[in-house]
Amino acid sequence: MSNGPLIEQVQATLAEALQVPIEEITPELALGDLPQWDSMGHMEVMMLLEQKFDVEINPDTIAALVSVAAICEHIGQNHSTS
Amino acid sequence: MNTLKIIPQIEIPDHLVGEVKSKLAYVDEAIVKAAVAEDGKEITLELSEAVDELSRMRLEEKVQRVVTSMTQGAFKPNVQVLEDHMAIDTPYRYDPTAKLMECGELSRETNGVFTLGPLITRLVNFFEDKFLNLAASFDAEPYRFPTLIPARFLERVNYFHAFPHSLTFATHLREDLDAIDHFAQQAGCDVHGNLNQPPQSFAKIKTLLSPAVCYHLYFSLADKPLPGGKMIATAVGQCFRYEGINLTSLERLWNFTMREVIFIGDKDFVLENREISRNRMAQVFEDIGLAYRVETANDPFFIGEFRKQAAFQSAFQLKYEIRARLPFKDSTLAVGSYNYHQDFFGRHLNITLPDGNPVHTGCTAFGLERMAYAFLCQYGLDYEQWPASVREYIHG
Repeated sequence: MSNGPLIEQVQATLAEALQVPIEEITPELALGDLPQWDSMGHMEVMMLLEQKFDVEINPDTIAALVSVAAICEHIGQNHSTS
Repeated sequence: MNTLKIIPQIEIPDHLVGEVKSKLAYVDEAIVKAAVAEDGKEITLELSEAVDELSRMRLEEKVQRVVTSMTQGAFKPNVQVLEDHMAIDTPYRYDPTAKLMECGELSRETNGVFTLGPLITRLVNFFEDKFLNLAASFDAEPYRFPTLIPARFLERVNYFHAFPHSLTFATHLREDLDAIDHFAQQAGCDVHGNLNQPPQSFAKIKTLLSPAVCYHLYFSLADKPLPGGKMIATAVGQCFRYEGINLTSLERLWNFTMREVIFIGDKDFVLENREISRNRMAQVFEDIGLAYRVETANDPFFIGEFRKQAAFQSAFQLKYEIRARLPFKDSTLAVGSYNYHQDFFGRHLNITLPDGNPVHTGCTAFGLERMAYAFLCQYGLDYEQWPASVREYIHG
């Protein structure tokens, strides 16, 4: 995935996965902050992150990537976005 | 018997063989037995009657749907073992079911519904006593909950999406004198035990038989702040989870008894008490001499939600299962669990902490019949072979 700063790409991905307007995906947002970001929503987020950023989904990432900030940090450290 | 062999379009990974097999019970009423090869490459179904080509194709399509839904993109759970006491030497090596039936200790009323005799009842009471001690160690407040539960309660916590397959519905005759008179004069059962009355004799379904104990407490606390911000409660109740052809012996009951100790408060309060209850029960199980392990697990979600919910539960270690050894089949049976629901019930039922945030909940739950069954599988029916603590409780 490319185009735009990482945080905006992550915000767009979460908005798509959770089916909410992108304005609701604030940089501070975390699992549980939106009704849509529940357990099922979280797994939708994980699968779309895998598809768009090649994030490996395993028990560690499922448990760790629980906020916009954590997702950005993980992707920034582990994956190229260009 | 008519046998149908199906090659799954997607090979079933070893960690899902048991889960897929259990879901095959819900594919079609014609299926009387289902097996999945250990390597996940073949499914064998035994059918009650021969089926024509069209029915066979439909059946196969449904089986493939189950397999695909549960396995495509499935995440392999990282099962963590928290306690391992499987090596404890226990004296019995057989399934006690036949002997229990023979001596009148166990009487089958219908699939998954059994009457228990004095020996098993005393064993159930023994375990219940231990769980009551656990509850008392927390000063848990006692509650009594009904067996019926309103449909709208379960709808509110998404139960219909997560576990539709295991629901048991309750209804009654419509308030209509003609319908009641007709029923009184005509009602009877056919050779299969089916009531011969038309569906329109019965009222619309508004209630079910309860699938769990702690839900009743959460519903009673809904839509208000939790006084004091924390509580610990305990209750025992009849639970109902339909499992079709999987309902065999005391391993899987449609109607079973569950004792729970329930924790409600903030995250730390719930997690801390879940851990304390696990440690206290470890001592109890050691005294009893139970061979078991505790490991991370997931609930038996239905196929649509299974893959995601199971992965989420596993990753966040929301469920620890107590799995007792069944020596006769070199396997284990879940006899209880230590559960953390995060703020799921707090959010869905609007139960709040003093700071306005939703409460977190958790429970420690034990299946009483399964506990007794697992004990009998390990120690048999001969009192002399039983650990002293159990023998003394039952014989004084």
